Formats: sequence, structure tokens, C-alpha cells
Amino acid sequence: MRRKLLVLVLVLGASLAFAAVAAAGNGGFAPETPHSPNASRINDSYKLIALLTGLIFVIVEGALVWFIVRYRNRGRPRTAEGPQIHAHTRLELIWTAVPVLIVAAIAAFVFYKLPGIKDVPAAKAQGGPLVVRIDAHQFYWQFTYPNGTISIDELHAPVHRVVEVEIHSQDVDHSWWVPELGGKFDAIPGRTTHTWFQADRVGTYRGQCGEFCGVFHAEMAARVFVESESAYRSYISSVTPMALGGQEWSGVCAKCHGISGQGGYGPAIAANTVLVEQAGLRHILEQGQNVRKPLASYMPPVGRGWTDAQFTALEAYLKAHVYKGAPSGG
Amino acid sequence: MAARAEPVAPYRADWRRGRVASWVTTVDHKRIGILYMATALVFFAAGGILALLIRAQLATPNEHVVTRNAYNELFTIHGTTMIFLFIVPFWAGLANFLVPLMIGARDMAFPRLNAASYWFFFFGGLGMYLSFFASGGAARSGWYSYPPLSEKAFSPGSGQDVWILSLHLVAISSLLGAINFICTIHNMRATGMSWMRIPLFVWAIEIYSILLVAVMPVIGVGLTFLLLDRQVGTHFFDPTHGGSALLYQHLFWFFGHPEVYVIILPAMGVLSEVLPVFSRKPIFGYKAIAFSTVAIGFYSMLVWAHHMFSVGLPNFLNIFFMLSSMVIAIPTGVKIFNWLATTWRGNLILDTAMLWALGFIAVFTIGGLSGIFLAAFPVDWQVTDTYYVVAHMHYVMFGGGVFGVFAALFYWWPKIFGRLLDERLGKIQFWLVFIGFNLTFFPQHMLGLMGMPRRNFTYFHHGLWEAYNLISSIGSGIMAIGMLVFVVNVVQTTRSGARAGNDPWLADTLEWYTTSPPPEHNFDRVPYVTSARPLRDLRRRLAGSSAF
Repeated sequence: MRRKLLVLVLVLGASLAFAAVAAAGNGGFAPETPHSPNASRINDSYKLIALLTGLIFVIVEGALVWFIVRYRNRGRPRTAEGPQIHAHTRLELIWTAVPVLIVAAIAAFVFYKLPGIKDVPAAKAQGGPLVVRIDAHQFYWQFTYPNGTISIDELHAPVHRVVEVEIHSQDVDHSWWVPELGGKFDAIPGRTTHTWFQADRVGTYRGQCGEFCGVFHAEMAARVFVESESAYRSYISSVTPMALGGQEWSGVCAKCHGISGQGGYGPAIAANTVLVEQAGLRHILEQGQNVRKPLASYMPPVGRGWTDAQFTALEAYLKAHVYKGAPSGG
Repeated sequence: MAARAEPVAPYRADWRRGRVASWVTTVDHKRIGILYMATALVFFAAGGILALLIRAQLATPNEHVVTRNAYNELFTIHGTTMIFLFIVPFWAGLANFLVPLMIGARDMAFPRLNAASYWFFFFGGLGMYLSFFASGGAARSGWYSYPPLSEKAFSPGSGQDVWILSLHLVAISSLLGAINFICTIHNMRATGMSWMRIPLFVWAIEIYSILLVAVMPVIGVGLTFLLLDRQVGTHFFDPTHGGSALLYQHLFWFFGHPEVYVIILPAMGVLSEVLPVFSRKPIFGYKAIAFSTVAIGFYSMLVWAHHMFSVGLPNFLNIFFMLSSMVIAIPTGVKIFNWLATTWRGNLILDTAMLWALGFIAVFTIGGLSGIFLAAFPVDWQVTDTYYVVAHMHYVMFGGGVFGVFAALFYWWPKIFGRLLDERLGKIQFWLVFIGFNLTFFPQHMLGLMGMPRRNFTYFHHGLWEAYNLISSIGSGIMAIGMLVFVVNVVQTTRSGARAGNDPWLADTLEWYTTSPPPEHNFDRVPYVTSARPLRDLRRRLAGSSAF
């Protein structure tokens, strides 16, 4: 009797402890603290499911442990049989029907939350959502703002404003994901996917590629800088070609070739004359270095879909800051 | 007429009787079954070593145990191995050994086809591991190998081609095996063994086989298209030339999700055999379990796009696949409740086989429940492609599949080899693996919810990521020790294990009627079957007649 009580207290204590941690919302018992309405509605759905499945968990595991303790062999011979019960229709109907009701409740709640997660708010007072185009590449994120400004691996967005993102891929599958601002949406070549967020406070949010995309998948990270409306406006109107070139170098080239072109996963390129040959550089960025060459010299087409301005910005940056070749021809 | 001595052909040793040659040329379902299981367990060890390397790499942030490319090869071949070269062939092997014995047959319907399907599997698996020596190394675009990443333009090495070739061979093997099982189960059952009297493991193999026949051709198509894209220059999956990268995902998951049930249904079948025998009760709700197996098989072909919720499918498709995925939880729940009811008021004999079966219920329930989160597609948008899915999937595949494999090994080992595995070592192994498994995979739920994507070569200092990753890696080491204990157990049992009689567990089904190990022809005579528990009937008749 005392042992039973002890087991009961332990089980209850453990489940209470888990519930307390879950309620505190950290430690990984719920998705990360949401900072956008869609993310927080996903969290609501998560919590309801956690409650109901938690209940089933306690019932099933509780019954399992109870039966093992209560009906264990205790020295009875193997020939001692339990009662030969073959089935019980009413009982079986109950444990089929109750899960149906639980699942239906979950589905109904998800449907109730769904429009607030999926649909981009009209945001009429703000003059409609701010639309940003995302181009996913091996292994960087490129953001194009409504005025044509481009940034790499960092997205700037105004706080409280509805931001709709249009997700494209220029090579393989990727997935756009900023946990605190909502779920993932894949970037698939030939398709466009959409999602949105409306950040509720100024700050920096961590984003990471969610779909395995190749050798530098783990480094395909993005930062979302949510800032005041005026800070956002001054950012998108003040990105100089040299600044863009710098972002391109560190986001597109340096992950493999090293921050000063000294080499890393890819070869050292600081002294490679291709860096300053306009046509040669464009060709290798757009086409990559492909299968006809030895495997070791493979390079993905990282500059596919770039604008002239992007190439020019990179060329200028390479000449000014990276290229260490001997000045040729005087 | 006087007797005349017939000229006797001079005695010549048949080369087919040699120690190795007899195994290579065998068409006996029991030997093929043993070959299958032994090969699958070798691949289990190989895939497990790959997994240990993955966990070593992820034990701490910014680790460099392996190179980036090697890491990607590791998780690609680990996944491919465990699914295609370990669990599915292991069930093929176990079913090969058991199905004819359980239904009272002499052999499989097509013994030579049976041998062929084993050798296709053998060479497919060999090719997969030799691909580490291919130019550019083994395939490294994930066990699902989505194009465009797996296309020539982004994966130029020939490892990917070898991967396709090997999977083709393994797929042919599964298909041939499945057809053979269906023919055997439909045509060769003992007298009196109606559909409601076949063992539930045989029900599971029936549905396993039907699923394989239904979906293996689809993955064959997907792989062939991929191979043509890579080698011949077609553009099935290349959107820049009018192809569709998404098409492959549909082809792959139309196969890939039923494949999950191909893995789990036989494990559930094993449970439905082990639990009643070690509870000393009949299975609770035979019909409900048999029909839930059929229902799971059917619905498993209607849920594939829940692997694709984040690709931006139309809303009505997301809703359809959410509902179908939730519906499939119902028959799964029915099974769990029926198993629990089987143990209720029983005489629970906690031998190692029973521990694995009860452990299955404990951990598989967690995997099933975490699946409900993933079926709700808005929640899936948050946790898909994170460690949450890794945790969920291992609770199902390992907590279900591997726990089922060990329940089967400890239960049927005496029938297969005539000796009982050591119970003490078995229990040590069970607890090491049970604890190690939960330490490895439970924290991965938390990692996923905290935003750690899967298939990442490394990660950075970020809150509790380090703690959970380290716990996970330690757990994988504990599991590995548990597996070593099993190796010791096998060696020890082979040398000096206790002899098992025909029926050491006082079981219910026909395979325990014959000797351990069974003779080549299986049975001298098969008793007339009047229920789903022919052996218990026989024991009672014998007890009755002696009393008389």
C-alpha cells in the first residue's frame, strides 16, 4: 500500500514538474516565445494539443505501469493462466470513439486559429503589407525591398508593420524560418511561397534555413532586424553599392573562401585574377563551376539571377578590399 | 530372373552441401530468413556506427570530428541504411522464417524467387556501402535525396548514382519478397486456418506485403526519373527547363509514408504475439487488431503530403492531409488499448522478450502522440525539419521498430537456433538501451522546439542547445554499450546457451509445434486448426486425455 502511494506521488510530482516547466514556456517544452501574431497562434494550438496528448500520455503510461506492478508474475508458474477474456465490444467502441472526439477537438481548434496564422492581414491603416522578396541561394538569403534595395543575410523590417515575404529559390530547396516570427515555408525553384509576420517589439531575431540545402546548410542563417519605422526607412534608402558589395562578399563568397579570401572550404582566391575580370567573374558567379571540371573544383552558381547593380557592387568591393594580386601591366 | 547388381554411380560430394556453398545456394525459407536477419543486423551495426559519429560531431558546438561533407554522407547513409537495409529486410527475414511455420506450410510459395530477393538485397546493400569509395564519396543529399540538390548540377559525384542503383536493387528485392509472402499466406495455410485464425504477425506481414507491392513501384519511378535527369539529360525535376522539383517529393512520400508502416506493422505484429503469451491470456480483441492493421495500411497511403506541409500546398490539401493523418492515429490507439487490455489481470512473466514488448508500448506511445502535433499543419510549420521531427521519428522507428526487433529476437531465438538467449544479459541490454534511447531522443524534442534545424553539420552556442545535445550524445553511447551486451549474449548463447525444447514459452502458434530448430521440411504432420491458438488447444487436449 505504501509503495503504491509512493509511486503515485512520484508520477504526480513528475507530471506537475513537467507542467510547470511547460507553463514557464522555456527550456524547450513549447516553441520559442512568439513575437508575431501568427507565431503566437501556432503556440496556442501547440499548447492545446500538448494538454490533450499529455492527458492521453498519463492515462496510457499510468495504466501500463499499474498493470505491470499489479499483475506481475510474483512466482506463479507459467502454466497459471489469466482470465481468458477475448474481447469486449462496448469497451472497444469507447476507446475508439473517445480518441475520435479528442482528435476532432484538436482539428476544430486548429481551424479556428488557422485564418489568423495563414492569411496576411489586410493592414489597410498601414497602406497594405510591406512586401519583401526573398531569394534563397546556396548558401545565403537575399532580400529585395519595395524600393529595389537589396541586402544579404540580414532583413530589416519596421516594428508593428505587417511584412509579407515572397519566397523564391534560385537553385535547390531551402526553407525560410524565423522561429519567433512564425513557421517555415520552403523556397522551391519554380514556385513562390508566401508568409508574413508583424513583429511586436524592436529587436534582432534569429533565422535559419530549415531544409537541407548542401554543404553550408548550417551556416545559412539570417538575422531579422526589427526597428522603428524611421530607422527602417533610413536603412533602405542608405545602402551604398560598397556596403552591398561588402554584404555580398561576406554572405556569398566568404563562407567558403574565407573572410579575406585566404581559403577555407573553397580555395584561396585573394590573388586570383578572375576577381578583377568582369566577364570571367560574372560567368563563374552565374554558372558556377560544374561537372566537366574535376570534382574538387566544383562551385555552385551563387550569382544566379543577380542584377547588374549587384555584380557591379561586388566587383567594386573586390577591387577595393579583397584582391591582393600583383598589379599587372602597370 | 537372377538378381543383377545395378551399376552404382561413383560417390561424388555435392558441392552444394559445402559449409558456405549450402548457404549461398539455399532455397530453404528458414536459411534465407536467417541470412536476411543476419545481414540486416550487420547493416544495423554499420548504420549505428554512422549514428554514433553523428552524435560525436554534435556533442559540443563547433566540433570537428568529421568534415562537412563526411557529416552529410553520414546522415544520408545512416537513414538509408536503417530504413532500406535494416528494418524492412529484417522483417522480410523474420517473416521468411516464421510465416510458413506459423501457417503450417512446407516452405514459401516460390523458394527460388525467395532466394533471389535475398541476393538482390545483399548486393544492393553492398553497393550502398561501397559507394563511400565512389568519386566524390557517398551520396550526401539526405535519405530522401530531394532534387534539385540531388541533381547532377548540385551533386556532381557518382555516389548519388550508386545510391540510386543500390536502392533499385533493394526495391526489387522487397517487391519480390512481398509478392511471395502474399502468395504464401493466401494459398498455403494449414487445414482449418481461416483468415480469423491466422496469427496476428501473419496479418501484419500480409498488410506489409500489400503496401510494398502498392508503393515500391512509385519510388522506382521517382528514382528512375532522377537517374535519367542525372545521366541522360532529361528534366523531370528541373524547373529551369519546365520540370517540377515538387513532383519528386510527391513520388517519394507516396512511397515514404507507407514505408513507415511497412516498418511498424510487423513490429506491432510481434507485440500481438509476445504480449498474450507472456501475459498468459489470449490477445484482447483479435478482430479489432486485425482490422486496425488493415485500416492503418489503407490510410497510410492517404497521408503522404503531411511530409510536405511547408512547401506551400493549397489550403484544402493541407486540411485533407491533416485530417487523414489524425484519423490514422485512431487505429493505432486501438492497438495500444487492446495490448494494455491483454496484460490486464494476466500472469505477466517479465522475461526479456516481454520487457521489449512493454518498452515498445511505453516509448511508441510518445512517438504516436508527438505525431499529432506534426499532423496539425500550423504547428508542423514551426517544428518540421527540426530536431523535434528527429525525436518523433526515432520514437516511432527505434522505439517501435527496433524494440519490436529485439522482442522478436528474444522470443524466437530458441526456435531459430534451438538455444535460449541469456536472460540476465538480455535484461541488462534492455535497460541500457531503454535508458540510453530516452536520453538520446527525448531532449531532441526540446532542441527542435528551441529552433535547432536537423541535418546541421554544427551549431553555435545558444541557450540550452549545448546541454541537450551533450545529453543526447551521452545517451547514444549508453545505447551502444547495450548493443555490445547483445553481441556478447549471442556469442555466449551460441557456445553454451541453454537448450530450448519445442515450446519453451508455452506459446499459442504452430511454429512452436515443431522442433527447435525445425527440420528442413518443417512439420511431419500439422494439427487441424480450430482457433487462433492451435498450440494451446493441443496442450489442453493432451492434458484432458491424460486425465481421462
